[in-house]
Amino acid sequence: MSYPTLPVEEAHDEAEELLPWYVTGQLEESDRIRVEEHLSSCGSCREQLAFERRMVQEFRAQAPEVDSGWARLRDRIEERGQAPSPVRRAANDLWNVFRQPGVMALAAAQVGFLVVGGSVLLSLSQPSYRALGSAPTSPTANMIVIFRADATEEDIRDVLKANGASIVDGPTSADAYLLRVPTRQRQLALVRLRSNDQVQMAEPIDGAAQ
Amino acid sequence: MSLSGTVIRPQAETVKARWPDERELLARVSTGDLQAFERLYRIYQPRLARFLISMLQRQQLVEEVLDDTMMVVWQTAGSFRGSSKPSTWIFAIAYRKALKAKARWPDPVEDEEYDTRVSDDPAPDEQLHHQRLHNALRDAMEKLTPEHRAVVDLTYFHGMGYREIADIVNCPVDTVKTRMFHARRRLRQAMPGNLADWL
Repeated sequence: MSYPTLPVEEAHDEAEELLPWYVTGQLEESDRIRVEEHLSSCGSCREQLAFERRMVQEFRAQAPEVDSGWARLRDRIEERGQAPSPVRRAANDLWNVFRQPGVMALAAAQVGFLVVGGSVLLSLSQPSYRALGSAPTSPTANMIVIFRADATEEDIRDVLKANGASIVDGPTSADAYLLRVPTRQRQLALVRLRSNDQVQMAEPIDGAAQ
Repeated sequence: MSLSGTVIRPQAETVKARWPDERELLARVSTGDLQAFERLYRIYQPRLARFLISMLQRQQLVEEVLDDTMMVVWQTAGSFRGSSKPSTWIFAIAYRKALKAKARWPDPVEDEEYDTRVSDDPAPDEQLHHQRLHNALRDAMEKLTPEHRAVVDLTYFHGMGYREIADIVNCPVDTVKTRMFHARRRLRQAMPGNLADWL
């Protein structure tokens, strides 16, 4: 297989730039072939190649000791109860679904099905979450909302303020937002949001409001 | 021209062979499997420690950032989608954490714990020779920015390609090449004596 030949100076600059990755065997074939072709005729790059080899040897010979902090980290997890939240994981899964461009085409009913499915999953995962004996340590989204296409930024801001909601993530390509509302107000917020003209869909995402 | 023997790859194959295991470990970690997390930690702790020492050059900060990095892995393993290698994902977290930590501790640090300069003890010529080079490189590395040090360490020590490094440090491939080019020039200038003395 042949590859386009570069002018000499350009070939030199390119080869010189790629030498560290040539030495460590990390170049793609086309780059590797060009570098080798240039090395065969460039004494300066062959000298630089020797330098690169020396650097790799030198850097790999240095291995500063850092004590394993596993016990420290395990204590941090167990004592503070910083377990991976099933709520967050399921929210992530759901969120990734919403991030797919194709989701734009989903009907509201399908979206609702996904949300309910996510909630079921979440409720099933609750025991393991509790077994780790922790409360969430950082705010996570507990509601997913899609505003109407003609809702203005001001409309959205007003709706958020009226319900004490903050945006955790979004908008996605499907124009969905993950919101966090105070737990005790969520049921009321859901009712309000669903009856708001600017809101196309509002669903809880951790099952607690079911 | 024969260039056989010029490629140094002591780690690349090992890392590749680990990918499936690491993906599986991450999947288990996302379900709260502490044993899987410990295995992942023991795989990554030495690599991250080395990387963070290069970037931060301060032992106490290294431990803090390493712990914070692995806590993020523990808490968000479920968001790893497999579009990149686990190592790329984990190193990218460490890189971001290190830059934030560096921003909190911007001043040059005299770190006695990391000091491996030549001792006063008599040493054989060869050892002294090696230590002089080691110290020169170390001093040169200290003068680079954390961003440059990260690229140098990921290339020379961790044997990563420029595309993976670009993913980790979240910048264009050409920026990685440029950072490496300038860092190498600084390192070479810092070497005492002639290049031939060190080869």
